[in-house]
Amino acid sequence: MRSRAEIAVCLPILLGPFSLIAGTSELPLTAQPSSSVCTSISSTEEFLSVKGEIGQCGGRLIISKRSEPKTLNPLTAIDNISRDVIGLMTADLIHVNRDSQQPEAALAKSWTVSPDGRKYILRLRHGLRFSDGYPFDADDVVFTFQSYLDERTHAPQRDLLMISGKPIAVKKIDAYSVSFTLAQPYAAAERLFDSIAILPRHLLQRLYEAGQLMNIWGLNTPPTQIAGLGPFRLKEYTPGQRIIFERNPYYWKSDAKRQRLPYLDGIAAVFVTNNDAEALRFESGETDVISRLSVANFAVLERDQQRRKFRLYDLGPGLEYSFLFFNLNDLSSDILPSLKEKQSWFRTVAFRQAVSSAIDRESIIRLVYRGRAYPLSVQVTPGNKLWMNRSIPPPVRSLPRARELLRQAHFSWGSGGSLHDAQGQRVQFSILVNTENVQRVQIATLIQQDLKELGMGVSLVSLESHTFLHHVFTSYEYETAIMTLVDPDPDPNTEINVLSSKGGTHVWHLKSNNTPSWQDEIDLLMQKQSITLNLGERKRIFDRVQDLLWQNMPAVFLISPDILVGAKNRVGNFHPVILGDYTLWNVEQLFIHKEPGAERGS
Amino acid sequence: MRFLLRRAMHTLLILVGASLVSFSLVNLAPGDFFDQMKVNPRISQGTLASLRSQYGLDRPLPVRYLQWVRSVINGQWGFSFAYNSPAGPILWSRSGKTLLLTGVATLLAWSLALPLGGWAGARPGSSIDWLTRGTVAVLLATPELVLALLLLLFAVRTGYFPAGGLTSSEYVPSGLWDQTKDITRHVFLPSICLAAGLLPLLLTHIRTAVSEAFESPYIEAARGHGIPFRRLLLRHVLPLAANPLISLFGLSLGMMISSSLLIEAVFSWPGLGQLMLEAIQQRDFYLVVDTAVLSTAFLIVGNLIADVLLYASDPRIRTE
Repeated sequence: MRSRAEIAVCLPILLGPFSLIAGTSELPLTAQPSSSVCTSISSTEEFLSVKGEIGQCGGRLIISKRSEPKTLNPLTAIDNISRDVIGLMTADLIHVNRDSQQPEAALAKSWTVSPDGRKYILRLRHGLRFSDGYPFDADDVVFTFQSYLDERTHAPQRDLLMISGKPIAVKKIDAYSVSFTLAQPYAAAERLFDSIAILPRHLLQRLYEAGQLMNIWGLNTPPTQIAGLGPFRLKEYTPGQRIIFERNPYYWKSDAKRQRLPYLDGIAAVFVTNNDAEALRFESGETDVISRLSVANFAVLERDQQRRKFRLYDLGPGLEYSFLFFNLNDLSSDILPSLKEKQSWFRTVAFRQAVSSAIDRESIIRLVYRGRAYPLSVQVTPGNKLWMNRSIPPPVRSLPRARELLRQAHFSWGSGGSLHDAQGQRVQFSILVNTENVQRVQIATLIQQDLKELGMGVSLVSLESHTFLHHVFTSYEYETAIMTLVDPDPDPNTEINVLSSKGGTHVWHLKSNNTPSWQDEIDLLMQKQSITLNLGERKRIFDRVQDLLWQNMPAVFLISPDILVGAKNRVGNFHPVILGDYTLWNVEQLFIHKEPGAERGS
Repeated sequence: MRFLLRRAMHTLLILVGASLVSFSLVNLAPGDFFDQMKVNPRISQGTLASLRSQYGLDRPLPVRYLQWVRSVINGQWGFSFAYNSPAGPILWSRSGKTLLLTGVATLLAWSLALPLGGWAGARPGSSIDWLTRGTVAVLLATPELVLALLLLLFAVRTGYFPAGGLTSSEYVPSGLWDQTKDITRHVFLPSICLAAGLLPLLLTHIRTAVSEAFESPYIEAARGHGIPFRRLLLRHVLPLAANPLISLFGLSLGMMISSSLLIEAVFSWPGLGQLMLEAIQQRDFYLVVDTAVLSTAFLIVGNLIADVLLYASDPRIRTE
């Protein structure tokens, strides 16, 4: 097989590049619906029946990925692409529905919580099988959590499973029941189970004992050695080109007609180099779905929707937010000596509020995002429907208010309109941006212009992403910076590391000797909400956190861009959402319309 | 034999030098592979520290260099942090694709340049000569990136060619012939683009070499003896002009590898260029060093091939 492929690679050289080009349009460029027949579910399996349009079995979906996955090991995967691909092959006990944003039963058919909120008992579905046909039971669940918690594995998700510094205790009750005991009550603990991929003990036990789990399931692992409980299983990986998945014949979800899902025969993910190449492949019809479009590509593709039979979707703002932050770190004077003076401005709340007031977010949205973004007052975006504090007013640009705030903080204007502090020092600082993100550079340029109107001298420093991160996280050699963070989940617990002063992504004040009183209050509130089990009470606590952020502005929150995606009309059950990879959250329900004219929009 | 041994020793020394320079420069760049994880609020600093230690990033540079050299000898070529696997197998699968692209492009460029440049040099002022000079001017004035983007746009708008990649998205291998046809369709546009970048250099050099050969007394004498033009060009002029062209051939091989880095990125060609770009962006330390060393190796091998060809074709070099 391999030798044939190698010969095929060499033949074009031997035959010359011209001789074979004509008449090649017969080669299939996109998925063709096949004539596969749906299988009915068996009575011995406890299926999960899902709602949605009844689809047609068969066909292969072609998607693109901006690079190839780096591993198929759920324990060590870090990058989003690897995690997305692994998500096709694996399943979790309780899953956060990407549409409703609420946890729901998955491999666990139900669960109970003890009155003190510390003990969870999960009841598993009976009769399920891994994609290699081997039965699934409580031993696999216990093994999975042991593997994630094993220090030798270095699983990044291990941190999630440590509550108050102690690992979650996992115990088998019987073949289909498992208990989980937490060191202390943890709000929304059900969400911890999401994306913890259940592993096949029968394949991995020996490797676990040998401490080798971190080396399993590389890209070259034969498909027969990989098994999961997801809708698809690995069929073939071609380095640098594509990865192909086929239907898992043992999948445990069904449609309303009791047909076993997934509908698709398989999925092929082709690897492209960047955003633009991804859009080109979609435009040329080589891929069926596109997961994240830039506004520029969205505008170009929008014109071709009818002619090329695809549809684009603007889902509104997701959970991504861009913000300008000031270097508030407590530093020794040998790091950027000039920074010390500037930090006295940055630490003044009125100064930060004035900067926020002077920034024209509407212009940023209009010019950088072509109207496809939302202005932010705090870090919680409108995409986070449950947790957004709606009493906080939307940001409005007001130069008179900005000037008033600066005046109150003893700033003054010299001849020529330049701004000076109480010591007569001209207000000048730089904004650090990641040069690879064009939109962030454009935002910085617009902010530079906005602040010039206040008399501030602002210069831009753009650095490549790793150098940028080094300056922000390690050397602290910057004055202000613009960054974007994406919450993986709408729940406030994912924000603890950003908002708490001891958090690893508390970027504006990573190195702190003392914190202002409002920050201490945020620390307490974030801690309190994480152990409060009553949803209404949690919401009130998190609203207060947002109020404190809005009043004290440790960072100036700017915008949240819209999520832009697209799919061919013939892809059925396509309902993109703002979480995860946006388009394939219900991949088991996606199908290819067979009859012409049956597609959406036709 | 001694000539080859001497050249092999030179090659080895240059590669060691290139690896040392690459190692030091990559190490000087701020940040490392794990920096990107710092923005993930779900990964703690403790986990990052243990990952750094596990992958040996906390060890001194000389120790890491020696470990890398040892792994090169073992055929592993260091370790890719991103792929969590030895870098060697990743490199080999990508190198073949880069060699395919550059091989086709080199063949294409030389197949066009030899007849065009040779004829233009033999008949200065002729219509072919004007055409050649015009082609050189246009290609020199067109940046490779612009040409690549234009070709890509052509592919997308017309649908005649695929918009990048090495094989079709939905390609199911059904036979050697179909595979070959599919790969040929994909290699066509990027190889045109690469060949267009090399063509001006080749045309200019070939034209000059042939033109100079025609002016030599030896050719004048042959012409005086009434040898027909075609025989004169093929049997006498081209061998005379061969030496600089063989050197140019070696150089062109190395140049192609460098140029292909950009073209591969534009056409999503799964070769070394794309791998190198990704490795640099991610600070995948050993993979960056490996791709840099491998690119150097290709350049050296190109020159080595040229030297061997010169050695075989020119008796004066053998005597030296």
